[in-house]
Amino acid sequence: MSKILEKSNKYIMFEHVLILSSYLFCIGFYGLITSRNMVRALMCLELIFNAININFVTFSNFLDSQEIKGEVFAIFIIAIAAAEAAIGLSIILVLYRNGRSNQINEFNLLKW
Amino acid sequence: MNFTDSIRNSILVIIETGIILGSLGVVSLSNIIYSAFLLGFVFICIALLYLTLNADFLAAAQILIYVGAVNVLIVFAVMLINKPKEINTLEKWNISNNISLLLCTSLFVSLSFTILNTNWSNLYSIQHSVNILDQMPSNIRLIGNNLLTTFLIPFELLSILLLVALIGAITIARRAEFIEIETGDSESLKSKEESVERKK
Repeated sequence: MSKILEKSNKYIMFEHVLILSSYLFCIGFYGLITSRNMVRALMCLELIFNAININFVTFSNFLDSQEIKGEVFAIFIIAIAAAEAAIGLSIILVLYRNGRSNQINEFNLLKW
Repeated sequence: MNFTDSIRNSILVIIETGIILGSLGVVSLSNIIYSAFLLGFVFICIALLYLTLNADFLAAAQILIYVGAVNVLIVFAVMLINKPKEINTLEKWNISNNISLLLCTSLFVSLSFTILNTNWSNLYSIQHSVNILDQMPSNIRLIGNNLLTTFLIPFELLSILLLVALIGAITIARRAEFIEIETGDSESLKSKEESVERKK
């Protein structure tokens, strides 16, 4: 009986964390679509990456705790997100230096 | 057992409210430096969430990389690119914002509906029957084993990618300055005039 109770508790926590990560994903997506500031768009991209990481870690913790491959994937995603943030911020810096603005809708450099 | 469970649940609730309110603030605050610092707060809360999910190495990596590197980089960029008249442009609330808000809420509702309706207990029971012997090696040892056996080639590719990103970021951020120095003042004046004309 106690085992079943513990199981259901874990199961509730699993759903809880999944819903939390989907919330984080949706709010990051909303910010990425609507924000005019480029740095804020990048921050929302980081939020999306974090939501996906939470999903990976949750699944690897609850379904694959023998060999945690989800966590290895999460480490890969963290490294790629760090590289992406560095490149994105340097591009934003250059755009700001050339155009004196950091609003997304003022940049139409790429015509076709 | 129940006592630790209740403590764990309350800690989880605190962390989750931190994440929810913090991410809401990241998106909706008008001053961007506040949202940059709130992003660091959200990252720390996510690291604590990893700790409750038995992923201690990942929590440490999250704090080291996200809070220590990415967030500092973002704060640095915000302080370099700071416009005082930013609040005016951000306050515009037009119909596209409404549409995207509706879209994202519907996405969230459908996702949570799917999560709640899926029968996870089947998967969980399968896993539990396998996972009877709970004498696992430590988390870090497992991750190291995986990185150096199954994921060896992606690991090496990742190191190359990080090197390329490092060099690429330096060259991208450096080039504009180079051009301005080399071509002298007349060229930069021309480009400034062109940009002014474009704005007109």
